[in-house]
Amino acid sequence: MRAFSSLHPAVSMLHFAAVVAVGMFSTNPVIEVLSLAGGALFCATLTSPEQKKKDAVFYVFMMLAVVITNPLFSHNGVTELLFINGNPITLESVIYGCYMAVTAASVMLWFKVFGEIMTSDKIVFLFGRLLPQISLVLSMAFRYVPLIKRQAVKVSRAQKAMGLYSSEKVVDRIRSAVSVISVLIGWSLENAVETAKSMKARGYGLKGKTNYSDFRFTKTDFCFVFGCLFLLVITVSGMAIGKLDFYYYPSITAVPSDIYSLICYAAYGLLAFLPFTFESGEMIRWKYYKSRI
Amino acid sequence: MEILQIKDLSFKYPEADKKALDGINISVKKGEFVLVCGASGCGKTTLLRLLKNEIAPFGEKTGEILYDGVPSETLDKRKSACELGFVGQNPDEQIVTDKVWHELAFGLENLGVEKNEIRSRVGEMASFFGIHNWYHRKTDELSDGQKQLLNLASVMVTQPKILLLDEPSSRLDPIAAADFIATLQRLNRELGLTVILVEHRLEDVFPVADKVIAMENGKVLFFDEPRTVCKKMKGNPLESGLPSAVRIFNSLNVSDECPLTVREGRNFLEKNFADIRGAVFEEKTQIERETILEAKGVCFRYEKNLPDVVSGLDLKVGKGEILSILGGNGSGKTTTLNILAGLDKPYKGKIRLNGKKTSDYKGGSLYRKNLALLPQNPKTVFIKDRVDEDFIALLKATGVPASEHESRINAVAKRFGILNLLDKHPYDLSGGEQQKCALCKLLLTQPQIILLDEPTKGFDACSKLQLSGLLRELQSDGKTIIAVTHDMEFAASVSDRCALFFDGRIISQGTPESFFSGNSFYTTAASRISRDIIKGAVLCEEVSQCCRRADR
Repeated sequence: MRAFSSLHPAVSMLHFAAVVAVGMFSTNPVIEVLSLAGGALFCATLTSPEQKKKDAVFYVFMMLAVVITNPLFSHNGVTELLFINGNPITLESVIYGCYMAVTAASVMLWFKVFGEIMTSDKIVFLFGRLLPQISLVLSMAFRYVPLIKRQAVKVSRAQKAMGLYSSEKVVDRIRSAVSVISVLIGWSLENAVETAKSMKARGYGLKGKTNYSDFRFTKTDFCFVFGCLFLLVITVSGMAIGKLDFYYYPSITAVPSDIYSLICYAAYGLLAFLPFTFESGEMIRWKYYKSRI
Repeated sequence: MEILQIKDLSFKYPEADKKALDGINISVKKGEFVLVCGASGCGKTTLLRLLKNEIAPFGEKTGEILYDGVPSETLDKRKSACELGFVGQNPDEQIVTDKVWHELAFGLENLGVEKNEIRSRVGEMASFFGIHNWYHRKTDELSDGQKQLLNLASVMVTQPKILLLDEPSSRLDPIAAADFIATLQRLNRELGLTVILVEHRLEDVFPVADKVIAMENGKVLFFDEPRTVCKKMKGNPLESGLPSAVRIFNSLNVSDECPLTVREGRNFLEKNFADIRGAVFEEKTQIERETILEAKGVCFRYEKNLPDVVSGLDLKVGKGEILSILGGNGSGKTTTLNILAGLDKPYKGKIRLNGKKTSDYKGGSLYRKNLALLPQNPKTVFIKDRVDEDFIALLKATGVPASEHESRINAVAKRFGILNLLDKHPYDLSGGEQQKCALCKLLLTQPQIILLDEPTKGFDACSKLQLSGLLRELQSDGKTIIAVTHDMEFAASVSDRCALFFDGRIISQGTPESFFSGNSFYTTAASRISRDIIKGAVLCEEVSQCCRRADR
């Protein structure tokens, strides 16, 4: 039961692009925090409890590392806190470090979610719309990668069980890897010949090829696109007229907080939290349905 | 009405001195199920591929192939793609895309069918073939049986009139293969589809076919109904591939109708040999052997949260013994072999080789003159472009001085009759030849124990006989052989001991005679035919031996 992933791929793509683009171009701390929170919550609905723990540890450490390293290398800013080896550590660069940490983590989280949601067939479908030939190539690539990987494991195990390059020494491992790769090239060519025949036998190369996909654009999709665009326009207009401007150097400016800015925050917040609320709503609805089974 | 006519067809591959096909004359009627059989290299695959212009091999062709009265060269491409369906041998190589639904739609996309029609046709085919349960899966996650079914279904979506199949079930286990043949039969009976099937596993197919084409050296030997062909085949080397009932019938001189199935075979024996009821085929006596390999309480799983694949396996293997391990698909037989070979490490239990724990053999010494594993696909064994170079690479890596290379390779090659293959590319060899070369490579390491994973997969009856002979010969050299196999007939003919693997361990074992006559389903066709009359006979030769003895 994954409601957000059942949306039309173009819609997921639009939403993702909107959230990440605004998050990357804006320097406003409120926007960044909203983006991070939305991404983290959505990510949490998709992953197992164990994975959540691992992720939390990873992201906290990564953010800490960014926060600590930025002031050590960047000495911009006017408010000096202390000196290390004669170099100033400024308040501005510490804050800027925080901003970078939040932005980096939020972008990474959104990409992680994107990877979960946009399965290979959705990507194939989207690119197929732009360039029909690409879609088949992509689909074949997605098919070949695991196939080759599996064959590589088989070949290296076969060698090992005959005593070829079977010791744990580094030299043996490198030799084994080299021979496996060289044999895989021949193997994939051989394989490709048969696949090409199978394609030809099924009429590949005839004129007027169509592209089939199972994705349908529903009412929900339409509402979603409309909502996303509406929220995006508000946020971008705010950015355009400088209502969300924020500067870290040389000194920190005040966080914009007039009515227009607040509306923009609300709009972007809604956009960032949309998948999470959508998902939780579905989850609650699903629990209700389940109780009636 | 004839749907396909082949007139005086001859074919020669470029640079070959012999014709691959020589003067073939065949006509196939609409709705017929035609089986093409013959030894490896007799030209049956060439014939089949020539029927479909897109995949026809290059070479000199004379004569005519008429589909629906039109020569195959001038046949409209769209019509050819649509109406002549082809399914090949290797399930993996034919799959083009990464998702099941996309694969099903692929043929229709190529024909330019419109989206909604694709949806309904794909949906219809998916439910006919029972694919709807894995319709959204990745093609890579499927089992071989599912993959081959998908290949068939994705050809069927274009609604072909004639189906050409090149050994489609040879890479499948017996149960998946029987399923596949049953599906073909259903297509033939229910949709009136014309089927031309090249196959060498004939036990299930013979009773289904309307006509059989038996080929030899590029010529059609017989083209007739199955029963007639069976009788004519008597004494021909191809006979060893025929269904067990036929082989038993042909070895006895009884004038009766030729039985094809187990049921008919049983009736035939009841009718003609009722007087020997209760005969016993004496069991081979088992020799006491010193234990060379022993597994005790071995448990293994692939990941922490997955269930055990092997749980509490106990196994003793005697020196110089041939042991076959049988079992269902995915039951963990191959994993067991990998564990014995030290490729997978059990989390519990011990394996001892010559009394020493296998985990104590360090730095690859386990594979030096101790044991060696031949994997399922012999293609994975070769890493060089020539067979002899491949052998040298192995000898070099195992520290054999260069002066000995040639003599060692020649000794092994001579023995296996592969001297003429040494300068070839491994991928250019046939499946049987690859297997032989792979086995030679393995013997270069001079192992005491040879582990074989599905050694007869994709083999025809003759190659199987040859392999049995080779294994017997290795046994007489004092080698111990452990084979994991689905092939019950092969296991029955070659092993000293058979074991059934189920639920993560070995649950029963015994001599082939006691093992197979004890099982009612997991047993050879010969045993199923004869069990009411003769006790303990599990091979066709054993059955006919008993019957002949009674005749005298």
